Amino acid sequence: MKRAALLILAMLPGLAACGRAPELDAEIDISHVVGGEPLRLDEGHYRNAAGEEFTVGRLRYYLSLPRLRRADGSWFEPRYPAESVDAYHLVDEAKADSRRLRIGGVPAGEYVGIEFLLGVDDARNHGGAQTGALDPARGMFWTWKSGYIFLVLEGTSPESPAPGGRYSYHLGGGEPSLARRVYLPFGERSIRVEERVKPTVHLAVDVGALLSAVNPVRIAQLPEAMDPVAARPLADNAAAMFRVDHLHHEPRRRGGG
Amino acid sequence: MRRRAVILLPLIVVLLIAANGVLRQRLADIIESFPTPRPAVPAGWPAPQYDFSSNPVTASGFELGRRLFHDPRLSRDGSISCASCHQQFAAFAHLDHRVSHGLNGANGTRNAPPLFNLAWQPELMWDGAIHDLELQPLAPLGNPVEMGEALEGVLPKLQSDAEYRRRFEAAFGPGEIDSRRMLLALTQFVGTLRSADSRYDRDELSAQEREGLALFRRHCASCHREPLFTDYSYRGNGLDADSADLGRSVVSGKAEDRGRFKVPSLRNVAVSAPYMHDGRFDTLAQVLRHYASGVQDSPALDPALRGGMALSAEQQQALVAFLESLTDEAFLQDERYSEPLP
Repeated sequence: MKRAALLILAMLPGLAACGRAPELDAEIDISHVVGGEPLRLDEGHYRNAAGEEFTVGRLRYYLSLPRLRRADGSWFEPRYPAESVDAYHLVDEAKADSRRLRIGGVPAGEYVGIEFLLGVDDARNHGGAQTGALDPARGMFWTWKSGYIFLVLEGTSPESPAPGGRYSYHLGGGEPSLARRVYLPFGERSIRVEERVKPTVHLAVDVGALLSAVNPVRIAQLPEAMDPVAARPLADNAAAMFRVDHLHHEPRRRGGG
Repeated sequence: MRRRAVILLPLIVVLLIAANGVLRQRLADIIESFPTPRPAVPAGWPAPQYDFSSNPVTASGFELGRRLFHDPRLSRDGSISCASCHQQFAAFAHLDHRVSHGLNGANGTRNAPPLFNLAWQPELMWDGAIHDLELQPLAPLGNPVEMGEALEGVLPKLQSDAEYRRRFEAAFGPGEIDSRRMLLALTQFVGTLRSADSRYDRDELSAQEREGLALFRRHCASCHREPLFTDYSYRGNGLDADSADLGRSVVSGKAEDRGRFKVPSLRNVAVSAPYMHDGRFDTLAQVLRHYASGVQDSPALDPALRGGMALSAEQQQALVAFLESLTDEAFLQDERYSEPLP
């Protein structure tokens, strides 16, 4: 009975798509690395640019308001209903499905780059009670100064003077905001969004860059950054974590996304 | 005989189901007919900061919020409710407590403020940490020395309670009990705690109180602005030369805000002792003595208070008399705000 209901449910999107142009989408897949190595929570031991050894226990951040750039410089910006939180995505290394996000309603065509906000925009950051990725129950909300934590990186390092050798970086808030716009050009290639072809953009996000890209950070000197003043040097580093690793296209399955 | 029972049994079942439906509807009608406090702006008051149009107050939403406010199950070990530290007879402050004790008897660091007219507050808390009334409950809920409970802990408790499931559905329609619905219900309750019916409001002041009002307008009203008796700014009032509490600077990041706190409203001040962010003064007479002769200089000190206020003992008494006229007895005894029957 249950299985039959599920089957019918699974068929519904297919049925609904009949008779009109299927909605096209693009997918973003994220892999976390440290330097050249894949990130393994708690188990991997890495070194930052200053030579300090560290592990990563928690990595979470918001990717918001994605948009795709066309070759002529114009943008495709997905439109969402006013109350919707679909434009906000919480990436959590501990949750595999959170490392994949989908941009829906993309018009067919070629796109040369992607832009998103690392963090939450002021309008939503200063809003009231919200749901979905912005539900305070997700554990990314501050109450000592209400607003979202844009990025969390926590782990241990023998260099940290904090109890348990822990280090904790919580980026959020700030005036001006610590949220950063990140634009990633696809380079010589571009992605094609077509009825028969679905593109996937693979991003490699280097946690090592968070400690060194623009403002080098020593865990020994900064075991904790839990407020916007302390975390400001990290915000520019965070924006530099992202790069396009590779693109690929595969045939779209009929009826599916 | 047996045949009659065979006919009657389904009939009884059908009748019971129908009666249950009718009774439920009647119950819902009765709840909706309660004279629930609704958002309203007293004559001469500014527009509120909180916009109830995105969270319309209904009887079932308000009643749900009232229940949540008084329910100790919201805390981690079921011992502390919002009302534990916000008592109606103290205008929802914590009478006789400099700071309040939460989970496992742990003490907080600041005096529990009274709760009323919150819809007018641009920011909440002594230091303005919270920018939206809807989000305010998250702070005491998650604070390990207050209720010590995470949303992931509270929501399953509510979701597994049939009474709450029914009440949430009555308030917000079908759907899961989530943090937003819980916060909206609490906001309907705390956002409609309105106090605007003191003798001052009814213009029933004695001669001494009138004299106090005149003094108040000369010495105090620039910060404790009528009709809400605060301008919601953050100021230093000379409590310490070197404040142990960072105050507003935690939120603003500005060094000069160290030891500055939000100007509190003075409505119901006579019933919401003790006073100041750390509850250091037990009586209004002590507060007045502080302003007359106890002001300490510091970078945080408000320029208007430098050197203290020239107030004779008699004037201080008149000011206290006036402040006592700001007590809103109807608010303190309003049964719509009191602990609901189980």
